[in-house]
Amino acid sequence: MKRTKRIGSAALVGALFAASAWVVAQAQSQVQDAPAGDAGNGKRIYLAVGCFTCHGRSGQGGALTGPAPILASTAMPFDGFKGQIRDPSNDMPAYSDAVLSDKDIGDIYAYVKSLPGARSPKDIPILNN
Amino acid sequence: MSKRRSADSSRRNFLKSAGLAGAAAAMVPPATANAVPAAPQTRKAAIPGPRQVAAETLAPAADPVNQTSSGGDFMVDVFNSLGIDYLAINCASSYRGLHEAVVNHGNNKPEIITCVHEDIAVHLAQGYAKMSGRPMAMACHGVVGLQHAAMAIYNSWCDRVPVIVLGGNIMEADKRAPGAEWPHSGVDIGQLVREFTKWDDQPASLQHFAESTVRAYKIATTPPMGPVFIALDAELQENPIANSKSLRIPKFEPVTPPQGDSGAIAAAAKMLVEAQNPLIICDRMARTPAGMANLVQLAETLQCGVIDNVGRMNFPSRHPLNQSFRRGLIGQADVILAIEMNDLWGSLTHFSDRIVRQSRPNTKPDAKIITLGVRDLYLKSNYQDFGRWQDVDLDIAGDGEASLPALTEAVKRLLDSSRKDAFSARGQKLAKLHTAMVEQSKTDATIGWDSSPITTARMCAEVYNQIKDEDWSLVGTAIRLTWPHRLWDFKKPNQWNGVSGGGGVGYNLPASIGAALANKKRGGFTVAFGGDGDFMFNPGALWTAVHHKIPILYVVHNNRAYHQEYMYLVAMAARHGRGVERMDIGTTIKDPNIDYATIARGMGVHGEGPITDPKDLAPALARAVAAVKSGEPAVVDVVTDPR
Repeated sequence: MKRTKRIGSAALVGALFAASAWVVAQAQSQVQDAPAGDAGNGKRIYLAVGCFTCHGRSGQGGALTGPAPILASTAMPFDGFKGQIRDPSNDMPAYSDAVLSDKDIGDIYAYVKSLPGARSPKDIPILNN
Repeated sequence: MSKRRSADSSRRNFLKSAGLAGAAAAMVPPATANAVPAAPQTRKAAIPGPRQVAAETLAPAADPVNQTSSGGDFMVDVFNSLGIDYLAINCASSYRGLHEAVVNHGNNKPEIITCVHEDIAVHLAQGYAKMSGRPMAMACHGVVGLQHAAMAIYNSWCDRVPVIVLGGNIMEADKRAPGAEWPHSGVDIGQLVREFTKWDDQPASLQHFAESTVRAYKIATTPPMGPVFIALDAELQENPIANSKSLRIPKFEPVTPPQGDSGAIAAAAKMLVEAQNPLIICDRMARTPAGMANLVQLAETLQCGVIDNVGRMNFPSRHPLNQSFRRGLIGQADVILAIEMNDLWGSLTHFSDRIVRQSRPNTKPDAKIITLGVRDLYLKSNYQDFGRWQDVDLDIAGDGEASLPALTEAVKRLLDSSRKDAFSARGQKLAKLHTAMVEQSKTDATIGWDSSPITTARMCAEVYNQIKDEDWSLVGTAIRLTWPHRLWDFKKPNQWNGVSGGGGVGYNLPASIGAALANKKRGGFTVAFGGDGDFMFNPGALWTAVHHKIPILYVVHNNRAYHQEYMYLVAMAARHGRGVERMDIGTTIKDPNIDYATIARGMGVHGEGPITDPKDLAPALARAVAAVKSGEPAVVDVVTDPR
């Protein structure tokens, strides 16, 4: 039953930018309620449990079966972030509390919030070829 | 490689019965012939010596040691009649007759490309064919070499690329020497690769060889293209030609690729013109330089979006109608024209790789789907590369590239001024979305710009900055490395040639060198990205590049992992709620880290790296580009973030 719910949610979004669209929807519907996290410990966990494998060490995003959204300076509220980790709407693996505690998630959240986001490409000449 | 150790009386008996022992030395006992080399006659009407007496009075020798012709010579003539430029080989005794004939009878034409593994030879041919439009031949030991070659043949099959594969064999059991010739021979060696070749044969005579080789070439180069296999009997290669006057090389005339039925083309045009949101999606569409221009013309006539799955260089990356990174368009389209698609169902479907695998269409329920292509005209059963069944509304059997001009003309005939205005408005909207898509890509590329390991976005941007003013071709990329197509300006037909086809690891390095060999002829600059895992399957391909002076800039996307598998393992562990921190076991390539530049230098290749600081990347690339422009291959090892 749970799986059906997940697939139903996923049906609301387009294929390529499914995860990004989900992030936006969550950001619009939920309040900011982030715990004070330890960004340093969050970085350690982010690298250890494999977050970086899809989302990149700089939170720049990537891809597996579908796109893995950008996490650097994420605007996603903590509840949405945690919900995506515990019960993802797409092909992202679900991390249960057996492998990732709520505190761990809070620390990861603090870390990705601290990562520098996008700059203006105009400041980087070779991106304007 | 095995050595054929002993003379075989029955093989020599063939020579006797054929009556072709024309050389004087063949008419005397072997020991005498070896001890007394034939000397030119210096006097006329001299008293006959013992050699002359023997030549005129003794019966033909049972065990001659010289010959003046061979089947291999004729085989070379057949290859040259087809205009085959290159023969990629890893030398082997079962085709020693052909090998010698290529070198001496053909004066190394087709030119032999020496490879250190059969997988390299076939992949090299695959890359060459896609860039040059011409098939290359490769030769291997028919049993053990063919098994090495099989993975690359499978990639060529899945990629619909012509390769002429030749395998030596000793058909007659009584002609095989003891030892290696037995495990290196087979009754039907073609069965090894029959499920992933278009056609194969084991000719039993030279005339049979000629007709089957020309037929094989024709089958391989007729869309849907694919590899073919010819078994070369050693006796046929090595023995003298018994009937040279009766041998004939068949005339080769290429097949005109089939164009879609005119009624079906008209019906497709009507559907596309009447659609509100038509969409074109394509994959291995462009066969020749004309393909891209044909597709641009159709898209501009319709002013519709194009999603390019980049199986070939189908559509310019910065054309305003290119919507390849806006797949949401699939869900808005009311008519979809799918041209030479590899996996249509996969492109039109959302699939969940979860515990319960489920799928749902990405298309609108009432969307009409038109297919145009020849891929499904030749399929086999065992290997499932044909993909899942896709319901369609109009299925046109016809070569995509060849059918596009007629389809475009049919569309033009249906246009009136009111439609043209609507089309123009649609095109302008798509152009704005395309511009936004490109700008978004540039913005996304800035994240982690100065990070180490280096982001793949920065790696690709730095490489493009170095080669953008060259006549460049990108001929390889790592899995899911989409940055070149997001950031680079692909606009010429030879600027891209697709990927492996079957996903068999080890394609990228040798196939890129094959493409570079094709580019070398026209003076183009070849660049490729390749993963570190792929590199380690066939690093020996670099030796071939050096040996044959094939210039290429090869950038190793070194994330020190089989990264796709790393991600899958993390997902598996997360499902079980256990051990997510241990998934580097068996998936990473570290402890020790591999130094790819040093490996390259060990084979005489210009090597740069490993580069970990993004500031060092531009100077290293500049040095490597200079080396390539001087005619050398160069490897740049870039230590990167995963993707």
